[in-house]
Amino acid sequence: MSGTAREGRLAAEEVAEPATMAVTVRVFASLREVLGTDRVLLELPAGTPLGAVWSHLPSAAVEPPPGLRYALNHSWAAPGATLRDGDEVALILPVSAG
Amino acid sequence: MIGLVEGPIDVAALIAAVADPEHGATTVFLGSTRREGGRRAVEALVYEAYGELALTELQVIADESARRHDARIALVHRVGRVPAGEPSIAVVAAAGHRPEAFAACRHALEAVKDRLPVWKQTVYEDGGAEWLDGLGVPLRDAAG
Repeated sequence: MSGTAREGRLAAEEVAEPATMAVTVRVFASLREVLGTDRVLLELPAGTPLGAVWSHLPSAAVEPPPGLRYALNHSWAAPGATLRDGDEVALILPVSAG
Repeated sequence: MIGLVEGPIDVAALIAAVADPEHGATTVFLGSTRREGGRRAVEALVYEAYGELALTELQVIADESARRHDARIALVHRVGRVPAGEPSIAVVAAAGHRPEAFAACRHALEAVKDRLPVWKQTVYEDGGAEWLDGLGVPLRDAAG
């Protein structure tokens, strides 16, 4: 590959949208115990919605419970929210405070 | 005044935080770990919080209750192990008169139950343990 061709290819890669993004997923309570960790780093396809995170977990065989809620960067968020590279997601199982 | 605390809740400090000469009625709710001695005896409840959002939500709930009922609110939830007989949550509401004080206290407590991102694990005297979070097998509520 000539120097000019290589530079052209690099330039094209730099301007292209990344195909994947890194997202941190915080988990709690029994889901934390199932996964053996309180946070999971996922490499997801760009544009993945928040509500699709569960299906990418290592424990995807475990059905999400009814009433599962989501937080995005420490605020409540709807499952249709689009994730961005570097986001922190929290999966909020039905709560049992008090 | 809101907070997540790891040790016993200082109820007197919460009452002092809402005290005001214009607020003549004060209600205190404490939710404590029940032993459930007639069934499978409970040794403790272990509470885990999503701390960042839980602190935000405690403040939102306290502000909502205060605004709706013209009250002053103190709201604290304990995290970690809470042995039988000890409080895991305290809600203190001070208002001009008792209807508003009771209503504010009730409103804050129900909002906590509905949406505070905190989970409890029941630890039994027989050594078993169980999360109440929808993934585990739910039991009848073991506290407040």
